[in-house]
Amino acid sequence: MVAEQTKSGAKSLAANVLTDVHFWVPVAVLIGGLLLLRLVS
Amino acid sequence: MRSTSPDSDASQSPGIARARSLQILGILSGFTAGAWLGAAEAPTKLVTIGISPVVISLVMVVGVFLARWSLPALILGTSSVRADVQRAPHLIVWAVLAGCMWATANTLTIFAIREIGLSIAFPLWNSNSLLGIFWGFLFFNELRQAGWRRWSGVLGGALAMCIGAAILAAATTSQSSNAHSMNGVWAALGAGALWGTMYIPYRKAYLTGMNPLSFITFFTFGELGMMAILAIGYTGFGPLRQQLFNARGVLFWLMLGGFIWVIGDLFQQYAAKYIGISRGIPLSNTNQLWGLLWGILVFGELQGRANITYWQVIGGSLLMALGAGAIALSSANRDERSRWKEAAQREGERYGVSSDYVQARMDGRQAASEAAPRRSASDWILVAGATAILLGFASIARVPEFSFHRAPALALTAAVLVLLGITGLRLWRTTRFQ
Repeated sequence: MVAEQTKSGAKSLAANVLTDVHFWVPVAVLIGGLLLLRLVS
Repeated sequence: MRSTSPDSDASQSPGIARARSLQILGILSGFTAGAWLGAAEAPTKLVTIGISPVVISLVMVVGVFLARWSLPALILGTSSVRADVQRAPHLIVWAVLAGCMWATANTLTIFAIREIGLSIAFPLWNSNSLLGIFWGFLFFNELRQAGWRRWSGVLGGALAMCIGAAILAAATTSQSSNAHSMNGVWAALGAGALWGTMYIPYRKAYLTGMNPLSFITFFTFGELGMMAILAIGYTGFGPLRQQLFNARGVLFWLMLGGFIWVIGDLFQQYAAKYIGISRGIPLSNTNQLWGLLWGILVFGELQGRANITYWQVIGGSLLMALGAGAIALSSANRDERSRWKEAAQREGERYGVSSDYVQARMDGRQAASEAAPRRSASDWILVAGATAILLGFASIARVPEFSFHRAPALALTAAVLVLLGITGLRLWRTTRFQ
């Protein structure tokens, strides 16, 4: 039961993070930064 | 300890006094952050003596990693970090993501310094404050219901900073003989974009109640992981090991730079927590002035340049600093702070964090349900381990062979230590480092 609750909590945490725009904006900027680094190095 | 709302009707006067005290603390933290972040850039001058920028960044991050674990263990103990993570586990994701951004931005700044010099690259990546203001407004209700005076201060300041950055960019293209100078400009601006966006995770963490000391502890996994990937990817494992071995005499100085950076960053985190990112970032961006002081007084960066370049760099930097000052002086009023609380409530509801805990932490206190933080034997082992590693590298360090002026370096070092003492003491007295 505890294991099920933990699994459910982890799933809802992941769902909350992945549907949060605050997560995707930094991810997009990070990808852009890595591409820029490749260009200037 | 009881959690109180600064603006509640029942305790309005103490609440307003507390809010004012936290605002002053945030402003002090911002200025102290600027001084220490500026000082931390000085070791990157080693890039001119033939060490790969990626290796410099990696070694700095190793110093950062040591500091980000040992300082929280020393100040509050890791039990406080564990308790924070149990309350808001989602923040680990944001902390690691922010760490990845920091490492990428830091590597870009090393390239920028190599191409266009510290005193010019510095203000360019400090354009991150404009992005920080934008994200703060868009996502976290900063500057909402702030009134025309505060809006004017922030927008006027932002405009002044843009003009200052443009003047500095013009100085770059006219004074640099390096064919890759535009690469340096793009690298510095890219670092600014990464650092400006990195404040989204910062603000998110502090609106949800996390202690800055806990945040940086997980942040550093992103930093070190990303930096290790970049270093191995760009250099290769074998050549990287060889470069590290060849550079063993200067590794300590770079790690020390990383360590100093963490102290600055920690104050920046407290500034972001208590005055928001739209004000905290410009204040900590006064590091451009400290960077200029180190560059000009200690490393003689502008010697032999044409007068026009000199005036462009000084004028552009001062204009940016004035803009940052105007933004910083437009402090949040009660209506705006109530909008911050709405954003905090939204975050708490989304991620299931107790509202008592969020409210108390926003007010710089512990929640009633929290146990007092205490240090354990493992904390002292962490501190001793980090110290031993630094001392080990110090024992094989040599003074890098480049010219610098000793007296200004000592004066600037004394100044940053005084700021550390004043702000550290006030942080302890007001919030017990919460």
